[in-house]
Amino acid sequence: MSNVIRGKRLETLVKRKPAGVSQWSIAWRRFKKNKAALAGLVIVGAIIVIAVFSPIIARYPLNYLASFNEEGRIRMPPSSKYWFGTDYIGRDVFSQLVYGAGNVLYVGFGAAAIAMSLAIAIGIASGYLGGLVDNVLMRITEIFLVIPFLLILLVFLRVAMAIAPSGVGSLTMVTLMIGLFSWASNARIIRGEVLRVKQNEYIEAAIALGASKWRIMFRHVLPNVLHVIIVLTTLQIATAILVEAGVSFLGFGDPNSVTWGQQLQGASEAVKEAWWEGIFPGLFITLLVLGFNLLGNGLRDALDPRLRE
Amino acid sequence: MPTKREGFKAIRFKVHNIAKNSMTKYVLRRLLYLIPIFFGILIIVFVATRMAGDPVKLMTGLNPRITFEARERLTQYYGLDQPLYYQFLKFVWEMLQGNLGNSYAIRGGTAVTTLVGNYAWETFKLQLAALFFSLVIAIPIGILSARKQYSKLDMTVTTTSLVGTCIPIFYMGIVAILIFSYFLGWFPYGAAHSLDPTRYPFGSYLLDELWHMFLPVAALTFAELAPVVLLVRSSMLEVLRQDYILAARASGLSERTVIYKHALRNALIPVVTYVGLYFGGMLAGAPITEKVFNWPGVGRLYVEAISKLDFPVITGITVFVTLMVLVANLITDIAYAYIDPRIRIE
Amino acid sequence: MASKEILKIENLTTYFYTWAGVVKAVDGVSLDVREGETLGLVGESGSGKSVTALSILRIVPRPGKIIGGKIIYKGENLLEKTEGEMQQIRGKEIAYISQEPGTSLNPVFSIADQLTEVIRRHQNVTKEEALKRAIELFRIVEIADPEIKVWNYPHQLSGGMKQRIAIAKALSCQPSLLLADEPTTNLDVTIQAQILELMKNLKEKLGMSMILVTHDMGVVAGVADRINVMYAGRICEVASTKTIFRNPLHPYTRALLEAVPNVALRKDKLKIIPGTIPNLISPPSGCRFHPRCDFALAECASTVPPLVEIESEHYVACIRAKEFTEKTVRGVKR
Repeated sequence: MSNVIRGKRLETLVKRKPAGVSQWSIAWRRFKKNKAALAGLVIVGAIIVIAVFSPIIARYPLNYLASFNEEGRIRMPPSSKYWFGTDYIGRDVFSQLVYGAGNVLYVGFGAAAIAMSLAIAIGIASGYLGGLVDNVLMRITEIFLVIPFLLILLVFLRVAMAIAPSGVGSLTMVTLMIGLFSWASNARIIRGEVLRVKQNEYIEAAIALGASKWRIMFRHVLPNVLHVIIVLTTLQIATAILVEAGVSFLGFGDPNSVTWGQQLQGASEAVKEAWWEGIFPGLFITLLVLGFNLLGNGLRDALDPRLRE
Repeated sequence: MPTKREGFKAIRFKVHNIAKNSMTKYVLRRLLYLIPIFFGILIIVFVATRMAGDPVKLMTGLNPRITFEARERLTQYYGLDQPLYYQFLKFVWEMLQGNLGNSYAIRGGTAVTTLVGNYAWETFKLQLAALFFSLVIAIPIGILSARKQYSKLDMTVTTTSLVGTCIPIFYMGIVAILIFSYFLGWFPYGAAHSLDPTRYPFGSYLLDELWHMFLPVAALTFAELAPVVLLVRSSMLEVLRQDYILAARASGLSERTVIYKHALRNALIPVVTYVGLYFGGMLAGAPITEKVFNWPGVGRLYVEAISKLDFPVITGITVFVTLMVLVANLITDIAYAYIDPRIRIE
Repeated sequence: MASKEILKIENLTTYFYTWAGVVKAVDGVSLDVREGETLGLVGESGSGKSVTALSILRIVPRPGKIIGGKIIYKGENLLEKTEGEMQQIRGKEIAYISQEPGTSLNPVFSIADQLTEVIRRHQNVTKEEALKRAIELFRIVEIADPEIKVWNYPHQLSGGMKQRIAIAKALSCQPSLLLADEPTTNLDVTIQAQILELMKNLKEKLGMSMILVTHDMGVVAGVADRINVMYAGRICEVASTKTIFRNPLHPYTRALLEAVPNVALRKDKLKIIPGTIPNLISPPSGCRFHPRCDFALAECASTVPPLVEIESEHYVACIRAKEFTEKTVRGVKR
């Protein structure tokens, strides 16, 4: 870039903090301009707020059989008393949705954390170390890539039910299982990025200066693939939420935790009689997934170093 | 030099022969590569099922008069008393002879191959129809959207597709059933056929079949359509920026040739890869679709088998689906090599 | 005028409508190409020279659009032609060689397919006939084993080879005008010389005219008859190659020449033009070069300098051009 701009950057460097900060602020400035990305941020933010303040926002206690206890009826249509109607045992659909938000986010973030930790470790090790390590790791990754994901996941969820140690909540098991089976494609993308970064001269310079492999991996490679990792994590959260909803819908979720997928499963028995029971949870799943996807796409555009100038 | 008349064809034939040979080698290499992956998946599912619980206990749990000896005998009968590696090798040996074992739970211990044979077509019917329609619709829309980037049409297409990728298939299914079957009454709300032949539209079995297929295929098509549209669009945008497209335009080729010959072939390369992987995902996702539409396919069979710990059926369906996924992968690889000479000829 | 013009561009304006704003890539460019001559179109990257070339063929990529002006080729305005008529001109009358030899050939089709496609598009011949011509063209651009090489795919060939093929493709229908957009930029220096020599010879042999677009003064020096120097979407100096090198009048042309390593004798004296090419969304007022110009006056920021004939056949767009001819200012700042 021109001297003028370089000069300006230097100025900010001197006045403010080290290099990283201005990089992120550039990304943020670009992110702010992207309306779709902001919409995603608002959706995700709103649902996080709902999850945090669920006891205040919900209109009835958790799992309270509102319409059954108070009126002796179940599956009541939406009204001013039950905004989204009541379900097959008379719980208020709206309140249950609010309580479910936390669980849904827990699965999303948890599974993504597990999947991404594996993906980062495997992707960086494979891409950076190369050779035999790369070969072995990539063969394993390929197995996980072509594995009939949902089928195997269902078997493992059954295993989890069978061996679940007491104390570990079943929702945690579901989260763990989803995480353990969704790292492969991310690992491959990160590996590709690492290979790209590895070709850069500063890596060669670091090697020439005698930096250790670990140091190079964490000090030089990781920060340069961080933008990809952030984007993949966001998209992975969306996927994990969809998968949890899917397995819950099939009856393989945790029956003791309220999630939107669980609500949909309860509703699927009587779609005709009580459309409200499924419509709202489904709408919320779609909305949240959309939120994370918009956020992910927005971050990709904002963080892409090739667009940074 | 060959004679003038045969020149083009003769040389072309020779060159294609060389290409074909390298193609055969390529396919064989891919095939060899897929075998360990297949066995890897097989081992995972085999071990996992054995960890999921004891089917004999599950079967006999509700029977208070069952004796300990009877249980032992059943366990022996199913070979579950043998060490795991022995069970696995026996399974592989039998599988290679085309025998996937007999179901524990389904009446009379039906052979798994028969079960899969009976249910697989119903699954395939939906998935293939949906794949076909989604590609036929998505590719032209994606191309159009890319050519008119940032237009109103493009905005609409991208937004719809983006939202489409976020809707869970079961939710889409439920909404479709709610609207088109309960409220409007246009389509049946599940199952593959009418039970009562007198209810066939115009008395035709085929029409009845198509009538039942409509909703699930439409929902699946829409679900698959969205990501393919986005992919075709972005791939096409990338290709349209390339120099060879400019060069093709500069040499006076018609817009149609430039787009549908020069650009499309390149743009399809990532699409082909994706479709192969995606088809695998859709097949594995069959349990969900089949539950929503109450469809008698392998997916529903699979879910029942897991809840009953019906090991042979679980393993059998996994083997079948994995094989299908691998075949889809192989077809993808071949299509890939066919489209892209850089893969075919090293 | 020495000879007849084959192409005359008047006041060509091409803008790009981007999210960030309207990029005025080509802003009122006028130039002419005489029959049989090679015109060098020189400027930094981003000066609008490539866009000018693409505008002639009317294949400016989106979101670019030709806003106004005239492009008169053999007496007819190309901007008034229909798309169908233009397709008959592209490749047949006016051919184009693009910047990147590596990417100007479609990777998924064999060279034979791509060459015969163009030949058959413009000439009514059979496939076999077209193939024979393609092989003939391979001989013309000096490729060994043409019968075998013609069946290769682009990825099997080297950069220099690909550029020879791109030239063959451009020449396949004997065009009258060849637009060569940085034809040698991405090649090795030795190959560069070969390709330039080849183009020069072929141009003579086929009696074509040529516009050579480049940022490299060294390239035009050996090949071009006349040079148009472009800066930020406008022409700033037009003269014969000899004049441009011996007596450059526009400060930008001078700066360009001083930035060429083999003109400056010692490396440490290699002069850098301060700053970069301006943002063409909101270009500088007046003379677009004034913020980077060592000789700028206050007036330069307000008046757009017209292209004036200072000497015979030597046009300069600078209000101080006259002073520079008197050699008083020359060298003062060195």
